[in-house]
Amino acid sequence: MTVLQLQELSKTFNGIYALSNINFTINEGEIVGLVGPNGAGKTTLFNLISGRLRPSSGKILFQGKDITGLKPHAVCKLGISRTFQSSRPFPRMSTLHNVLAGQVFGKGFSLHTRPEDEQMAHELLDVVGIAHKAETLAADLTLSEQRRLDLARALATRPKLLLLDEVAAGFSPVLVKQAIKLINRVRERGVNLLIIDHFLNLSQKVADRLLALDHGEKIAEGPPDIVMKNREVLRAYLGMRYQDEEDD
Amino acid sequence: MSFFASKNTKFRTQGLRFHSVGLMTGLVLLILLPALVQSNNYILQVFTHALLLANLALAWNILGVSGSISLGHAAFFGAGAYCSAVLSLEYGFSPWFTIPLAGLLAAGLGLIMDLICLRLRGAYFALATLAFVEIPRVITDNWDGLTHGSLGLVGVPGLPSLSLGTWVVDFSASITASYYFVFVYSLVLLGLVRFLFSSNLGLAFQAIREEEIAAEAVGIPANRYRLLSLLLSAYFTGVTGACYAHLVHYIEPGLVYGLHFSAIPMIFAICGGRFTILGPAMAALVIYPLDQFVFHPLLPAGHEFLYGVVLILTVLFLPAGFWGGLRKVS
Repeated sequence: MTVLQLQELSKTFNGIYALSNINFTINEGEIVGLVGPNGAGKTTLFNLISGRLRPSSGKILFQGKDITGLKPHAVCKLGISRTFQSSRPFPRMSTLHNVLAGQVFGKGFSLHTRPEDEQMAHELLDVVGIAHKAETLAADLTLSEQRRLDLARALATRPKLLLLDEVAAGFSPVLVKQAIKLINRVRERGVNLLIIDHFLNLSQKVADRLLALDHGEKIAEGPPDIVMKNREVLRAYLGMRYQDEEDD
Repeated sequence: MSFFASKNTKFRTQGLRFHSVGLMTGLVLLILLPALVQSNNYILQVFTHALLLANLALAWNILGVSGSISLGHAAFFGAGAYCSAVLSLEYGFSPWFTIPLAGLLAAGLGLIMDLICLRLRGAYFALATLAFVEIPRVITDNWDGLTHGSLGLVGVPGLPSLSLGTWVVDFSASITASYYFVFVYSLVLLGLVRFLFSSNLGLAFQAIREEEIAAEAVGIPANRYRLLSLLLSAYFTGVTGACYAHLVHYIEPGLVYGLHFSAIPMIFAICGGRFTILGPAMAALVIYPLDQFVFHPLLPAGHEFLYGVVLILTVLFLPAGFWGGLRKVS
């Protein structure tokens, strides 16, 4: 059973390819890491899947349904949710209401917040470890707390596929450990994940498979330890010299 | 600060009691006002107008709360005033019929404004709305056959008397009846705004205002909700414009499409607290009478400087507005 299928997906900006001919599949129950150097097209790929950008060509299938060109809110309602590279909380709203927005609008709409929505929102804040900040304005949270809030809000929409954009970037080793635990808890809820992980501090430990991009092209995919030894990947991350030296 | 504060489980009882006592006192004063001032026509007139302006501020804030600052609400006010005035004066329809119709025309104008302006954000949106007012103004000014152009409309019929059984409310006999009419309209609009803002529609409006991209990512169709808030805002601004026409009996394009009716609701909303339910209405009920009773006699030519001063002071020292600031303190 495939959750997400990308077919010949391309995106050009003013004639320049940001992504070209990406074919990729995420299967049920999988965590996939999306790796690649700066400018490889990782975030562009997220923006295409989540509906923020329209692909120039190609198709995106979600659970067998063509979602190419759908608006972000429609994509969310179908079951794809995302976090942002630099978190985007609703700053002048309480932490709880941030999550409630996802809870209320993520799947449908109810005019009034039901008690179970509020309970669920509290639970999610607990999952990400900021339950004690429920009444705090999101603007007053620390950066790490804002990222957790981003995650809680994304989970509140009850996604089948969750796109995480650099959740662990800049995290200390302790925080990375917590993030790993958190991701495993999310997986247990039956959520599939696609994780952008530029610095590779997360995906090597939790991902079942990696998709490596460079200059908008797929350069490798497969189990983490194999992809991480792939010459193209090493070259993309470490430069030509590394490859030259190896060739000698 | 957030207008959801009242829904939170942990009530700050002390502050809440203070607020509700203050509010109840204000409400009782407004109800008893005609008796207190012994139907002094001038005072009642000022407060009737203040209530109308309060309604404008409340209506403006329906859009304001979703993050858009409009400098063009005079378009809806003027169109509403003219629609109701022309239909009742020239075609003999009852104002009870033409007032809600005026709201619909204003909402239609809101739809056009949406098509033109709502892709714009922030200052660009504000500037576009400022220019937008010119569309209905120029049409009104030049459609002589229908609107008498810049001559204006004189003798717009007043509100017809209402009879409930043997009890007859005659709006032409005294200003008291008109005062209570506008007062009831204010209560209805306030109730509606409260319902809107404390429902999940309010949650969507806030989310769009705070971070549009994230709002869309959690399933909120931002453009649709922004349009909804604009239509509601335009509708009630149009209805208020229509009420104005029937209470003042005289309208002209330069007056009802003037900058005054665009700026005033914005000033009241910002001073009272843009993210509060009551703030905009309270600012209108305090600042306008202050202007009329104190500053107008002192400075007949330049009394409107008060609005500028109050706006600047609020923006500098109380960015959350009076009511917003008060809630934060308690």
